[in-house]
Amino acid sequence: MNFVLGRAARTFAVISLSIWEVAAQPATSRVVGAANAFLGTLDAKQRSNVLFGFDDEAQRVRWSNLPAGAVKRAGLGMGDLSPAQRSAAMALVSAALSKRGFEKVQQIMDGDEMLKTNGGNRSMFGKDLFFISILGTPSEKSPWMLQFGGHHLALNVTIAGEQGILTPSLTAAQPAMYTLNGKTVRPLGQENDKAFALLAALDEGQRKQAVLNYKVADLVLGPGQDGKQIQPEGLKASAMNDKQRAMLLDVISEWAAIVHDSAAAPRMAEIKAGLGETWFAWSGPTTVEPGRNGTAYFRIQGPKLVIEYSPQRLGGDLSNHIHTIYRDPTNDYGRKPAAK
Amino acid sequence: MRCGWAVLTLAVFSGGVHAHRLDEYLQAATISLESGRVLVQLRLAPGVAVLPVVMAGIDRDGDGVVSDGEQRAYAERVLGDLAIAVDGARSKPELQSVKFPKLDALKEGLGEIQVEFAVAVHGGGAHRFVIENHHQRAISVYLVNCLVPREPGVRVTAQNRDYKQSRYELEYVAGAAPWWQDGMAWFVAGGCLLLGRLGMLWWKRGHR
Repeated sequence: MNFVLGRAARTFAVISLSIWEVAAQPATSRVVGAANAFLGTLDAKQRSNVLFGFDDEAQRVRWSNLPAGAVKRAGLGMGDLSPAQRSAAMALVSAALSKRGFEKVQQIMDGDEMLKTNGGNRSMFGKDLFFISILGTPSEKSPWMLQFGGHHLALNVTIAGEQGILTPSLTAAQPAMYTLNGKTVRPLGQENDKAFALLAALDEGQRKQAVLNYKVADLVLGPGQDGKQIQPEGLKASAMNDKQRAMLLDVISEWAAIVHDSAAAPRMAEIKAGLGETWFAWSGPTTVEPGRNGTAYFRIQGPKLVIEYSPQRLGGDLSNHIHTIYRDPTNDYGRKPAAK
Repeated sequence: MRCGWAVLTLAVFSGGVHAHRLDEYLQAATISLESGRVLVQLRLAPGVAVLPVVMAGIDRDGDGVVSDGEQRAYAERVLGDLAIAVDGARSKPELQSVKFPKLDALKEGLGEIQVEFAVAVHGGGAHRFVIENHHQRAISVYLVNCLVPREPGVRVTAQNRDYKQSRYELEYVAGAAPWWQDGMAWFVAGGCLLLGRLGMLWWKRGHR
């Protein structure tokens, strides 16, 4: 009995120590370690399929909101991996993201799995059709990139030293509200709720500035629109009070803090520094039932930031099909540190 | 062949859940302000349900192939459905390029037709550019946006749209304004006239 207890205590101590070590590691070395661990599970053919040159422009821009069955992705599909390989792939994605960011990714994938189950189109939807690829060589110093995505998800994470650059990335959801294991899940619910709260916190004059008098039917700067900056519209954050500006930053954090915490902090600081020149624009209904997604489009645009949230008509219910995009038009794909 | 388009659409429809726009024709215009001209890139994305309607205007001979000639003819028809005015005068857009996706992509509702055209704008100063898109109005949704000008001295001063974004008005200033648009020039000219008049009065009084 003592022997069994002793072994259990030793195992517990080893696991605790390794968890502590992982948590204490700098974020970049944690991501690099997870990348190498994932690569270590692959055979030579799989490695050649998952690895691309860092400057492979075709692979860099090979992402979409559309299902992999419609727009082909390269890299390795989750459905083609063994359970151990798949687990290592997801551990890599998790290492590159924050806890909430990874949770969001899982909820988007769960939603797509539901789409497969409910829609019956097995060749178009489901968790097996999410792809992973690595551009460059995982390194703590030289820039490299992790791509992960499929239907309604495209994460482009450039790791450059201590930096983790998540732009451009697309998060989307259909269904955007569903029940799983007895719980209601809204993968993009916080984005919706925080934006509506900000709109409600504006006074009448500010709201008049923020709400556009025309319909925006889709993302303006969606896939394929890299590096573009459109003329900003709406309400400028310099015309907001401190509380409203804090609320705006909180909305932005739903995208900027998808990446791991060490990279999210400087990114949020960068966005905060340009907040005075950041605009908030809204199109569509200005009220929403609590706990549900609204049907309004909104855009946040700053010197180094573009966020769009766009409900989609397809499926009949705008609140249940949402596309969003997150960009830094001055540094999409981490081109700035990579060029240094 | 038209029947073929309809059959294909039905086949795609019967697939169950879909991932992209189905029964709308998305027309997204991106405007760039350049020296001496306005450049417009029009991205046209037909959903599969409206593809037969759109294809009827493209594949005019119904042979199931979109030839270079048909591509260009379609682009010219699109331009013909636009009403463009610069500084109050009707302007003719000049086709710069047309790019068609693979037919298979269009059939799956994935493709995007790109039509690029330019509109000449003469002189610097304040300008007003208006574009109205009447192409396939019954099935279309529109987006229209102006890119942040890259050229120094060019700045957007106002944008107005109708609810659908099928009509867009853009006001901008390009480079140095001609003297008659410059408020300071009028002020100086007015000051000179006033001084001249005062000078004349003073001279007349001195010679009485």
